[in-house]
Amino acid sequence: MHAPQLDRLVPEYIKRFEPYIPSKPDNELKKLYGCKRLLRLNNNENPLGPPPAARDVIDGFPPPAASVYPSGDAYYLRYKLAEKFGLHPDQFLVGNGANEVITFVIKAFCQEGDNIVTADKTFAVYEWVAEFSGFDARLVPLKDFGFDDAGMLRTIDNRTKLIFVCNPNNPTGTYWSREKLLRFLDVVDGRQIVVLDEAYFEFVEKEDFPDGMALMESYPNLVVFRTFSKMYALAGLRIGYLAGSREVVDIIRRTCVVYSVNSLAQQAALATLEDGEHITRTRRMVREGRNFLERELGRLELSFVSGEGNYLMLRLPMSDTLAYRKFMTRGIMIRSMTGFRFPNYIRITISHMEAMEAFIEALEAILAEMPDRRP
Amino acid sequence: MKKDTGRALSLSVYTEMGFLPMCTSFVEHGALAFGLDERGATALTLAVEEIFSYLCRISSPDRGVTIRSSSRRYYNLVEISCPVKDFDMRLFNLTARVSAEDETALEQMGLLIASRFVDRLNVTQGPDNGILLSLVKEKSYPEADQIMTMHPKEVSRFSLIRPQPELLKIITTAVKALYPPYLFPKAFLYPGKVVDMVEGGEYEALAATGPDGSVGGALLWHWVSEKTVECFGPYLFGQAKGSAISGELMEACIGAIAKSPALGLVSLLPTDELPREHFEDLGTLTLFDEKGNGTALTAYFRQMHEDPGAYSWCHPELEPFLRSQYGRLAMPREILFVRDLGETKSPFSVLSVNIERSGNKATIRPVRSGKDMQENLIGHLSLLKKESLKNVFFVMDLGIPWQTEFTHPLLQSGFSPRVVVPYGGEGDQVIFQLGA
Repeated sequence: MHAPQLDRLVPEYIKRFEPYIPSKPDNELKKLYGCKRLLRLNNNENPLGPPPAARDVIDGFPPPAASVYPSGDAYYLRYKLAEKFGLHPDQFLVGNGANEVITFVIKAFCQEGDNIVTADKTFAVYEWVAEFSGFDARLVPLKDFGFDDAGMLRTIDNRTKLIFVCNPNNPTGTYWSREKLLRFLDVVDGRQIVVLDEAYFEFVEKEDFPDGMALMESYPNLVVFRTFSKMYALAGLRIGYLAGSREVVDIIRRTCVVYSVNSLAQQAALATLEDGEHITRTRRMVREGRNFLERELGRLELSFVSGEGNYLMLRLPMSDTLAYRKFMTRGIMIRSMTGFRFPNYIRITISHMEAMEAFIEALEAILAEMPDRRP
Repeated sequence: MKKDTGRALSLSVYTEMGFLPMCTSFVEHGALAFGLDERGATALTLAVEEIFSYLCRISSPDRGVTIRSSSRRYYNLVEISCPVKDFDMRLFNLTARVSAEDETALEQMGLLIASRFVDRLNVTQGPDNGILLSLVKEKSYPEADQIMTMHPKEVSRFSLIRPQPELLKIITTAVKALYPPYLFPKAFLYPGKVVDMVEGGEYEALAATGPDGSVGGALLWHWVSEKTVECFGPYLFGQAKGSAISGELMEACIGAIAKSPALGLVSLLPTDELPREHFEDLGTLTLFDEKGNGTALTAYFRQMHEDPGAYSWCHPELEPFLRSQYGRLAMPREILFVRDLGETKSPFSVLSVNIERSGNKATIRPVRSGKDMQENLIGHLSLLKKESLKNVFFVMDLGIPWQTEFTHPLLQSGFSPRVVVPYGGEGDQVIFQLGA
């Protein structure tokens, strides 16, 4: 049997693409780094866990139900979302995490020679999916840590099909106000699909922050992403969704893999929508954690970027990947930002106070080890 | 990593001497067409002649040989693949000597000659369990002028650009004029070569230029393996201490490789302007000049991804050094020991040596372990001593278990482990230095 002729079989754009290597499981990491506990401050997870109603669903999930296929198009969840946002159920598509719906959208609109436009320092999956699908990802540098609307408009050409705006931006926490977003949508004027990724929408309390769901009627080229992974703490179940005009969603549905969202995820997600207290509790925790971090980082004379979302980015006087290893040996998992093209920055998930205090304690110890910062 | 694989020609023949003229003609004319001068083309042709003749002698006539000749701008690469299993790589040792009384050895002398005709010769496993010989002959380039063609001046506002060939020549000339030779690679002596390396995608370069086009600084980098990028510089021209140019150049370089397969970025020839906050200190190597004066050079490293952990093969005598370095660097590593439990070993070891006369330096890498490791190493050191090379290094790949068998012979011969380069090869690399 001959070896497969990979050089001939594999498309050039796949040969160029570097696979993403996810972290090892926590237990393996603890063994590797010799730590007994592991505080996960790397993935913007909600340490409060899912809302009580969703916990009940998870606790009560009957094992025999695992043998039955889920609803192929998340029927009940879409109806519940439609009721919540005052839209039609056919305006929603549910996916195996928001990552899957990103793939649906790119597949639906791009063909050979097309491109997408987004920022250079933002959630990387837009860029990845475009590139491993053979499309050009045009990356516009951030301006003052925020998406550069004018730069993005200049980058668009007649082969641009999609514009991805992460609002608020991960990892900088900057956002476009309602006024700025509307101005942008007016200029685009339906020539491209504008994807507004609102993965962290539920964390934002600013009054001028736009609600994409309320704009679809006026802007039928707008597609909004939301997720149950962050605020609703269902990251382990992988469930997210998109919403748009019926015409646009009908196109995206053609590339949608049905049955990709499991029954437990659908039922738990549906239950989260009943609970308003969970959002209040989480916002309070994030507010307290952010205030504490900002104060402590100021005391340590470290610069940071703190905006919306349940995260904060800070600049270290050392390599962020070295900092990652040093934090890991102390049982704290942070996200190094080199891969986001922010060398020497790390991103911290804002968590409960005990974790934030442990983080600051570890940070001080790591800084004290640096030759030029020793007292 | 967009290396220009260049234009290529290939010829498939059989291991019969009757095909020799066809092979030599193919290689010679190909080399001339690809830009080698006559001297270079002749040397490459002679090397191929020796190798082809040797292959004909040691294999049956029905074996196919494929010769591929390609242009990589600054060099001509000839690759010879053949399904031969009894290839004596021992002959590629720098110390290999052929006995006039041994007919088999005389037959193999051609291989030794071939290895001396070219700039680089590598032997690896080829298709169908055969061998793949890669011969590299570089083009000849004139040395840089001693006269500076740029008057350094302070640049207050700047932008980062990919320098065009003429600017690149000015930059390399300026580096040669303003920096000691141990702070830039030998290739910088030949600006035309650097231009070809950059144009061919082997090197990448960034320059900081002011509004009037004056150059404030530059940084170059290249891939030394599938996982590691090495950078040179930043080199600053006429800038005040603390200029923002160094940091901007470094961050742009890191940004450029941030989403690539690179696991590490190293700086082994760090200038004073290297922004230390982006790097980790791996340890020091000492470079001696011809008079024996030593300059300590710190090896710097930056990891490009979060470390997922790895295994490192280790000889027990290297363990204390490795544990201290891994502890200091907070590197998650599981150390696995290589032990001799009486299994049959190859009688002969093979070493490859890269000599860089301008840097007064030789770097030895193991190609194969064998029972004669100690003698072979001593033989190489004796030869390098005769060449008056002051700086001798040995690079060991801890991802390849048999390489660690050289540990004891190295320590016995006066080498000491100096630096661990994470992910420098298949696994981490240890750089040993002789007598330092």
